[in-house]
Amino acid sequence: MSIQVSLKAFRYQAGSKPRFERYQVTVPDDANVIDVIEAVWSQHDRTLMFRHACHHASCGTCAVRLNGYEKLPCIVSVKEALAGREEMVIEPLRNFPLVGDLVVEVVSFFQKQAASGMVITREAEPSLDGQPYQRSEVFAEDGTLDDRPYNRFENCIECGICISACPTMSATDKFFGPAGLAAIHRAIQKTDDHRQKSWLLALADGEQGVWRCHSAFECTEACPQNVNPAEAIMALRRELIANKVKKLMRG
Amino acid sequence: MSAPHVIVIGAGSTGAATAHDLALRGLRVTVLERGEIANCTTGRNHCLLHSGGRYCVKDQESAIECIDENMILRRIMPDALELNDGLFVALTEEDLAFKEKFIAGCEKCHIPYREIPVKRALELEPFLNPKILAAVQVPDGVFEPFRFCLAFLATARKNGAVVRTYTEVTELARSGQSITGVKIRDHRTGKMEVIGADMVVNATGPWAEKIAAMGGVDVPVSPTAGVMVTVNKRLNNMVVNRLDKPSDGDIVVPQRMTSIIGTTSWIILDPDQIEIPKDHIERMIQKGREMLPAIQYAVTRGVGAAARPLIRKANADEREVSRTFECFDHKHDGVEGFVTISGGKTTTARGMAEKVTDVVCAKLGHQAECHTRTTPLLSYRLFYN
Amino acid sequence: MRTDSKPRRVWQWGDVRQRKVGTWAYALNRITGLGLVLYLYIHLGVLSMLVGGPAAWDPFIKVVRSPLFYTLDVILIAGWLIHGLNGLRVTLTGIGLALGAQKALFVGLMVVAAIGLIIMAFMVFRS
Repeated sequence: MSIQVSLKAFRYQAGSKPRFERYQVTVPDDANVIDVIEAVWSQHDRTLMFRHACHHASCGTCAVRLNGYEKLPCIVSVKEALAGREEMVIEPLRNFPLVGDLVVEVVSFFQKQAASGMVITREAEPSLDGQPYQRSEVFAEDGTLDDRPYNRFENCIECGICISACPTMSATDKFFGPAGLAAIHRAIQKTDDHRQKSWLLALADGEQGVWRCHSAFECTEACPQNVNPAEAIMALRRELIANKVKKLMRG
Repeated sequence: MSAPHVIVIGAGSTGAATAHDLALRGLRVTVLERGEIANCTTGRNHCLLHSGGRYCVKDQESAIECIDENMILRRIMPDALELNDGLFVALTEEDLAFKEKFIAGCEKCHIPYREIPVKRALELEPFLNPKILAAVQVPDGVFEPFRFCLAFLATARKNGAVVRTYTEVTELARSGQSITGVKIRDHRTGKMEVIGADMVVNATGPWAEKIAAMGGVDVPVSPTAGVMVTVNKRLNNMVVNRLDKPSDGDIVVPQRMTSIIGTTSWIILDPDQIEIPKDHIERMIQKGREMLPAIQYAVTRGVGAAARPLIRKANADEREVSRTFECFDHKHDGVEGFVTISGGKTTTARGMAEKVTDVVCAKLGHQAECHTRTTPLLSYRLFYN
Repeated sequence: MRTDSKPRRVWQWGDVRQRKVGTWAYALNRITGLGLVLYLYIHLGVLSMLVGGPAAWDPFIKVVRSPLFYTLDVILIAGWLIHGLNGLRVTLTGIGLALGAQKALFVGLMVVAAIGLIIMAFMVFRS
């Protein structure tokens, strides 16, 4: 079963005025929004620039604003995108410099992520979808069996949706941002090195750190991966305050 | 005198690993990618860091490549892999009969393995079908294709490589019987440009034929599509494979909080327009349910398809075609300055890069050893430096 | 609709179109905050009318009991109700409580603010 889709897409090339263009494509009725964008590219306009890679929300590249709100189009169905509407509107993320069409420049974003040094993997939970399991030994490089914990990729896929949703990021691109601060919090949780922890806390305490958040919570609201950056920011604040109080008490 | 300049067309796993090897050996490299990094075949792959178990009976050359490269990748990109091993599970008597061949295959291909009792397997994987008859553990792993490529390219950039995304090759520039560079369209500006090079490497996966045709040569690469169905829960810690010769829907790869069921195989004409047959999606879910019945309670998060580059050999059906890779030096077709590297899989990307870089260096008279087996890669984030 | 030019930054944080409740809270907090700061200056300005001694009393009363001034008073009350009650939400979530219910909390507190405003506006105009 196919469905006819109307797409209004933001088009922009450096040096010319931004505009919207409308396209009509036919896609399977169980397709997701990224399939519509790809169909427009492949059938109508090969100059359309957009980011995508994995189609299952692990690369974080395809984030856009769908009907005005931040989404990962690879996991939003066409049906959902068209609910109660004639056409779907796709624009790039806010608060990032524009490269062209739907593509934003993520260099400064990744530099902030790199600053936290958060390793992308972590120890796995002791249960799967609510069911506890026992762990097996896993193979090491030399073929012997190793009794180490299972590991897992962190929830955050660095898609930038929280950055787009955050009003403070709208006010200034110097703000470290919800993703970066959440990464700092995870990095602190994952290290036992006291000096590293202090260094990370100082980074969060900086002029453009946790104190620039003014509790909109749009980041947590929009995050497609349950990272909950708002909670991370509040937790960092509590830790910073607790440290200051302890220092005062010690005299 | 500056080092020779090599253009690599394609920033999927093959192009990224090739750029890394070339740059590490001191060549000047420009990578040209018409979209985002890893946006084509590599991005949509199954994310499986193969132990080689899948190929250890029917395609042992491929199996050995896989296990060797698996171990190398663990060393050079340790922070960007889920390493929880994999299970090959038997559900029928036929599967059980296959076990002997499987184990013999693992031994022949030096793939570490151990058979575990069914009861133990069910403790390890609570959602595994309780009716399994046997389980064998192998060192499968899980990677993330975009960051996999970024890690190689970050290291290549540090060594001087230039990576241009949204830059599409429209023609190859020739002078007589030599390829001297490429004509490109930069989608950011809409402008056309010519870039000269001493060597052009075609690393475009299933588009290899299309790019080769620009050089007036042919490569026997068939774009062969496959479907992947991702569900909204993670139902396994370890990769779960069917203990049988390779068939459709016989692998469920977990990643973060999802499980990905795959895959199928059908030859297509145009990798830019893949129509996914509905019955393939249903088959994936059905086969996935055989190994992990709880899939029936999970919601489909997304369905994607990508085209593998399979190297055609005469008289073979697509499941029988080897998944190994091949480098084509087009001087054998009368064209100099042009090579194609195709076939393979992301797990063997580094090995593919080594092969094509050896060929490129030999052709350019550039003496340099390959160090990619032991050189750790930079953090993928440093690509954006 | 470029997203990289500087002048847009000045007001984009307040662009509540297609945003959720959180941006409303952020924008209202910022606007009322600025308003309250402005009020301080206005307040000092109005009080300075009394520098003139006892003779300045009647003109002063005429100003502060005028309908215009009462309206400004009601706006002021709205300002500190919104800012104060949202401030309660900011404090609670900052401590780590009620993070999951922050949307409901905002809506609830604004309802309280609205009720309070109506009552106090009534009291102001009745006096």
